[in-house]
Formats: sequence, C-alpha cells, structure tokens
Amino acid sequence: MSGVSLDVKKGELVALLGRNGSGKSTLIRHFNALLSLQEGELIVGGIDASGKKNIWDLRRLSGMVFQNPDNQFVAPVVFDDVAFGLENYLVPREEIPTRVEKALDAVGMKGFENRAPHTLSGGQKQRVALAGVLAVEPDIVIFDEATSMLDPRGRSEVLSIIRQLHESGKTIIMITHYIEECVSADRVILMDSGKVVCSGAPENVLTDRERLKSAGMMPPMPVRVYYDLLERGVQLDRCPLTEEELTELLCR
Amino acid sequence: MDRGMTGKYVPGETLLHRMDERAKLLAFLIMICAVIFTDSPAGYAVMFVFMAALGKAAGLSVNSVLSSVRRLGPFLILIFVMNSLFYTSEDPIWHFLIFSLSREGMIQGANVVLRIALVIVMSGILTRTTSPMELMSAIESLLHPLRYIGLPAEEIAMILSIAIQFIPTILEESDEIRKAQIARGARFESGKLRERAMALLPMIVPIFISSFKRADELAEAMEARGYRGAKNRTAKEKKKIDLRSVVMLLVCACVCAVQIVI
Repeated sequence: MSGVSLDVKKGELVALLGRNGSGKSTLIRHFNALLSLQEGELIVGGIDASGKKNIWDLRRLSGMVFQNPDNQFVAPVVFDDVAFGLENYLVPREEIPTRVEKALDAVGMKGFENRAPHTLSGGQKQRVALAGVLAVEPDIVIFDEATSMLDPRGRSEVLSIIRQLHESGKTIIMITHYIEECVSADRVILMDSGKVVCSGAPENVLTDRERLKSAGMMPPMPVRVYYDLLERGVQLDRCPLTEEELTELLCR
Repeated sequence: MDRGMTGKYVPGETLLHRMDERAKLLAFLIMICAVIFTDSPAGYAVMFVFMAALGKAAGLSVNSVLSSVRRLGPFLILIFVMNSLFYTSEDPIWHFLIFSLSREGMIQGANVVLRIALVIVMSGILTRTTSPMELMSAIESLLHPLRYIGLPAEEIAMILSIAIQFIPTILEESDEIRKAQIARGARFESGKLRERAMALLPMIVPIFISSFKRADELAEAMEARGYRGAKNRTAKEKKKIDLRSVVMLLVCACVCAVQIVI
C-alpha cells in the first residue's frame, strides 16, 4: 500500500475494484484491524484503528464477510454459528435467540436454524455468514469478494441482500473484480498495485477506458458497445452503464 | 461417504434420543465399570437383558445393534482362540508344544470376548442416539470441572467440534483431488501395496496444504467476528439434569452394583 487516502461517508456503498494483487484485500483487512498499520493513520467509525486498545470495539463496529463460504463456519449448526459473534461480545444468553432469528430473517434464511452448514448451497452459506455478521449489529459491513465463489444464482441472492442493507442505512464496502457489480454502487474506487488509481461515481470511473485498462480491467459491456459505436460514427446521447440503459438508448 | 459406518447417529424422537446427553455419557462410563466387574453367567444375563431393554428404548433393531459386533467377528474369534490356547493352567485338556487348551483359558477367552461385545453394543447405542454435537457438549461439560487444574475445557471442546464439522468438507475435497489425480493418470486401485501407498502421497500433500489454508482463513474469520478465547464469551446455558436422567443413572449404578456383588 502506498499513498492511499480515502474517505467513506456513513451510509455509502463503496465498491473497491481491482485485479488480483492490487491491494484491495489488504486495504479492507486494515479496516477491521486484522492487519496492523505500519504507518499512517486510519479512523473507522471514530475509532483509531492503529492502536491495539480499541481493536474489539472496532471489529464489533465493522463486520466482514469473506470469500470462501466453507471456511468461515465455526459451529456445526446454523443457529450456533450465527450466535458465535454474539457470544464473543458477551451478549446475554436470553437475548441471543431473538437476535439470531432477526439476523436470519434479514438474509432470508429463517427456518434453516438447525441445518448443518455443509448441507447448504454456496449462496445460502454466504447469507448465513452475513447473518452472523449482522447479528452483532455493525454499522459497517465489508464484503471481501463474497460473491466470487458463487454460481450466478447465489451471486444475485447475495447482491440483492447487499442492496437491501444499503437501503437500511448501513455503510457498505464491497470488494469485487466483477465490474458489473460496481454499477449500483454510490462510489467506485479503482485500485492497482497498492495505489488508488481513481475514485468517483460509477458513471465516471467505469466509463474511463484508459484508466480501467491501465489497472487491468475491462469496462462493462454497455460502455464497450458505446465506444465501439462511437468509432463507427454512431454517437449515443450518453454513455450507458447497464444493459437496460443501453437498450433504451439504442431504441431511440 | 457414510458407507460402512456403523454406529452413525440416526435422528429420532425415542426415549434415549431425548435423554440428557451428559447423563447418557455418564451412564455409558458407569456401564463400562459394570462390564469390567461382570464375570458370571448370571451377570452376563443381567447385562444382555439390560442392553436389549436399552436397544428397545432407542428404537433400534437387533440387527443394527449387532452389526458392529458381527463386523468385528473374526477379531473376536481370534481373541477367544488366543486366550484359550495360551492360558497357563494346572490341568490342561490338551497340550501341544507351547499350546495348552484348558477350561479356565476358555472361560477367560469367553469373558474377554463378551466384554468387548458388550462395550461395542453400548457405544453403538450411545452414538446412534446422540448426535456428535451433543456428544461434544457432553464431553465439554464433563471436562468442565477439570479447568480448576488448568485444563482448557472450552477450548478443547471448540477444537473437537470444529474438527468434526470440517470432516465432510475435507472428505469432499479429498475426493476432488483424487479425481483430479486420476484424470492426470494416477492409479490408486492397482499395483502392489507399496505402489498403492506411494500413489497416495500426491493426494495427501495437497489435502494437508489446503487444510492449513482453511485453518488460516477460519482463524481470520473467527478473529474478525470477535473471538478472544473461550474466557470472554457468553456463558453456556446451564441445563438442569432432569428426573428421567437421574432415574437412568440410578438404574445404571444399580446394574453396576449388582455386577460387583455377583
């Protein structure tokens, strides 16, 4: 990491984009103090992440869902796994069942309390992992390529829950290398070799062909179509980001 | 995957299924003591009647209870033969070189075989009616008093439960690796024993590496979710031992006492 300076607002949905080894995973591990800072400063939710002192308050404030759905289960049944975080933060035993139920309900996994995690599908596993994070009621939820090991259906399940969470006012930081997933973000941060290449609204970052190319990414399909048409002399009104926008513009 | 596993947990709602798991584990330990003291025909009769009653209460068929004993049949016969032939007795029935067949030897052999069979049947009944998870929590609560002498009971229980929980995942993975190796020309089924053992090596190494990677990721996930060791966690619910369990423990203790007397 070098010279990374960024600011995430409360309630913002930020997508971190970059190829493998671009430093995005390292960056978010700092947000949760899983890695300690060598230099510089980092404040997460008003807590100084460089000190050892408030590390557990910090982790309670910002929950994290990891990439591999198999390697984050601690307990042999769903209920106990969701309760794991609550037990770690000494939530009284009587409160645990209602909070677990609420968290499972939020991810649409109610009724799976007594299932063994390995009998669930990938998307279901990630939703349970997310429930485990939500049960602790964090302000910030971080997704570390949480959809990259899922099939298309599992991915859309998880993405729709991410959107719901965003609407409910949680601050969300998601790492991805699927550029299509960035379109609905409030802000996209493009990273390469430990640096922030650029940061801004999706309509600015995702349409910047040169910068994306230099960071090893391809623009989304509608953007590519826009530029291809431009080269052949067809000028659309604006650069579309989604397929719907593209069809709308083409039909005009 | 589960093929050939006898004594595997069978979910159910029988009397033994619903019994407190700690009581079941304690009763199992008491019954092992009882088996050690069993040495007369009357004693065995009592034990077999009791086992039959337990099997009935657990809703298990005679066949399923005896299947694990049958599986060990050749081993049990060998134990019986060895005991009867090598017992040093004053008046052997038959004597040849170092072998001497005697009545006492045969009795001892029968004793050992019957005791092993009883323990197998008992553990079968226990594991068929108690899920691994319940067993873990039972072990944890029985280990609990030992923390006063510095034994980390909760940590041990956590390690055991994570280990058990990852078995299906790792089995699945080893199957994948096996198929990948077969696709690249590895042969696991043919060849001499030594060759087959060597062929396993390219399977074991990747499994080891990926297991360590898994452990690493799991540790990171646990840390991210606020795990600070077992001490800083919400205390487990303290379940009271119910009357039914107390009755069962008393019955087992009586059987044990009977065995000591006769």
